[in-house]
Amino acid sequence: MNEISLNHYLFVSCALFFIGVYGFLTRRNLITMLMAIELILNSININFIVFNKFLFPDKLDGLFFTIFIITIAAAEAAVAIAIIINLYRNYKTIDVEETNTMKF
Amino acid sequence: MKAIIAATIIGVIMMFASILSNNKSGIVSLATVLFFFLFGINIWEVYESINATGVAAPAYLNNMMSLDSFAIWFSMLMSGCALLYILLLGKEIAKVGKHVGEYFALIAFIMVGIYLLAGYSNMLMLFIGIEILSIPQYILAGSDKRNLKSTEASLKYFLMGSFSTGILLMGIAMLYGATGSFDIINFRMLQTDALNPLALSGILFLIIGLGFKVSAAPMHMWTPDVYDGSPTPFTAFMSTIVKAGVFVAFLRLFHASFGNLTNHWMMIVAVITATTLFIGNITAVFQQSVKRMLAYSSIAQAGFMLFAILSVNATAWQGIVIYAVAYSVATIGMFAVLIKLKDYTYDGFNGLAKKEPALAFFTTIFLMSLAGIPLTGGFMAKYFVLLAAVQQGQVMWLVIFALIMAAVSVYYYFKVIIAMYFKTGEAELNHEVTGYDKLMLGITCLLVILIGLMPQLLLNL
Amino acid sequence: MNTLMLAVEQSTPINYLPVVLQLLVAIGFVIFMVGVTHLLGPKRKTADKLINFESGIPQVGNARQPMAIKYFLVAILFVLFDVEVIFFYPYAINFKELGTEGFMAVLMFVAFFLCGFIYIIKKGALEWEE
Repeated sequence: MNEISLNHYLFVSCALFFIGVYGFLTRRNLITMLMAIELILNSININFIVFNKFLFPDKLDGLFFTIFIITIAAAEAAVAIAIIINLYRNYKTIDVEETNTMKF
Repeated sequence: MKAIIAATIIGVIMMFASILSNNKSGIVSLATVLFFFLFGINIWEVYESINATGVAAPAYLNNMMSLDSFAIWFSMLMSGCALLYILLLGKEIAKVGKHVGEYFALIAFIMVGIYLLAGYSNMLMLFIGIEILSIPQYILAGSDKRNLKSTEASLKYFLMGSFSTGILLMGIAMLYGATGSFDIINFRMLQTDALNPLALSGILFLIIGLGFKVSAAPMHMWTPDVYDGSPTPFTAFMSTIVKAGVFVAFLRLFHASFGNLTNHWMMIVAVITATTLFIGNITAVFQQSVKRMLAYSSIAQAGFMLFAILSVNATAWQGIVIYAVAYSVATIGMFAVLIKLKDYTYDGFNGLAKKEPALAFFTTIFLMSLAGIPLTGGFMAKYFVLLAAVQQGQVMWLVIFALIMAAVSVYYYFKVIIAMYFKTGEAELNHEVTGYDKLMLGITCLLVILIGLMPQLLLNL
Repeated sequence: MNTLMLAVEQSTPINYLPVVLQLLVAIGFVIFMVGVTHLLGPKRKTADKLINFESGIPQVGNARQPMAIKYFLVAILFVLFDVEVIFFYPYAINFKELGTEGFMAVLMFVAFFLCGFIYIIKKGALEWEE
């Protein structure tokens, strides 16, 4: 009972993932949406590391996957910030609801 | 492997070329030469792989890449398409903004992603390939910085793209939990009868994640806006070569790893295919702008390419190669014509046949290929993917549905042809069509017809 | 799923006792010191003492001003380069085992890194004044 088992970790990761998805779908502020995406990616990182530690401790595959996810998430965030700044310069807002020049 | 290294170095060279020189046409020529060089290296690799028959496919990077003959052949074809793209649209790329060198650098980096996706044998490479492919596209979509539509396109692409990356990664994580490996060969050990629920949901997440990237139907909503808003030269690249690259990754994963689990995912992909065909074709009918119509048509064509994933057999691999090339060549040609026009609506094409007969003729060939009229590449492509589905034999209803949808697609493609030939009007051009443009478009046209007459040329596997 | 819980190390609440003790000592020391200075120190309140201290310079304006966009550029570049360093950690641990090949790989990585860095400098992304 006192042990923190795989299921506990998976619960945390699952909760984070769906908080991220919920935030992504409901929030309309771009920075918040970016944070939601980071939350999703980090929940996946937890998943990888936990699977690695509990199920397959003989190899470090999952751990290295997280390193790649972290770096690529940083690259993505850099591009995202550039896009958001450009958007702000053009629209004077970072609300996605305002960006609707293209409607069918 | 040589091509991957070469493409990376070309990207770096282009980055520095933009620092050292402000001469736009010089940079375009440099890019053209370098992409010729890249194509040459690809041909060299193909030559080597033909000579090395009987030897097992060379594995690189600790068995994370296995460049079999298919991967090398497909990389070569995609480099050829990229070269054609740069020859046709290089000057237009230079007109998008001031950072010309960077645009070509990003295109070279995208090519690296495509090579990785063509020959990956490890989920890590799939992930990295997709990201190398996607991140430059977010930038390219927003490269017209002062244009509101371009900014919005890049924003939407980024949001949808990174969200789908998250879902894709969740799928990979679940498969890792089920099998303890990232090697796509090891996924074959998944039991068919008593499948681990973790693996099953992993496969589902992967279908959704990759479906986002190839714009399959319930996950397609970003496509029209992104393709419409992005600068036209980059739309041409994103909707053709990149999409084909992601499709090959999709195909490799689902054939090599989950080929024995078809009863678990077949129905899901079949429904996705049907929805993609329906939404793509029916919505395309109601479009006013040709550029937006081409965006929806790219969704519809993705529906046909999904047939290759559905039918797990050798014909599907042939089909995806022919489809990728035939569709890419015809669409790049179509965009090269579109970009010459001032007005992207159907009315903008009115009377083009009188003003520029050659241009109108080429457009007709491209559109016929996209619609799948016999003697063009598009027909052979559709024939091969549908043949694969027929051979597989489980989804006959879907084949019939696809044929009906192909008939619908004729309507909106021919609307452009009718506008060009039978409507009176003054089609306004951005600038004069030079002899070089006509020559390149003519070559593209010849390629389209050549693929239609001799598709086996593309199957030299 | 039952086989999954093998590799957990034994950890009972008693193992955390030293941590709790450390925490208690730290908190107690802080409370003690704050209390003692409060009781013993002299109390002189002047207007100068209550304003924010800005290295001896008279304070100017409000601190909550929007930053220049340049700042974000530098910040984002910092994040990028900072995160890429993560790849050195696995290399540092396996430095001896990886040998020359690993060294070459890292050298190549750093070379690409350097390419990016030179590119940034040449593009003028790090110039503050314009």
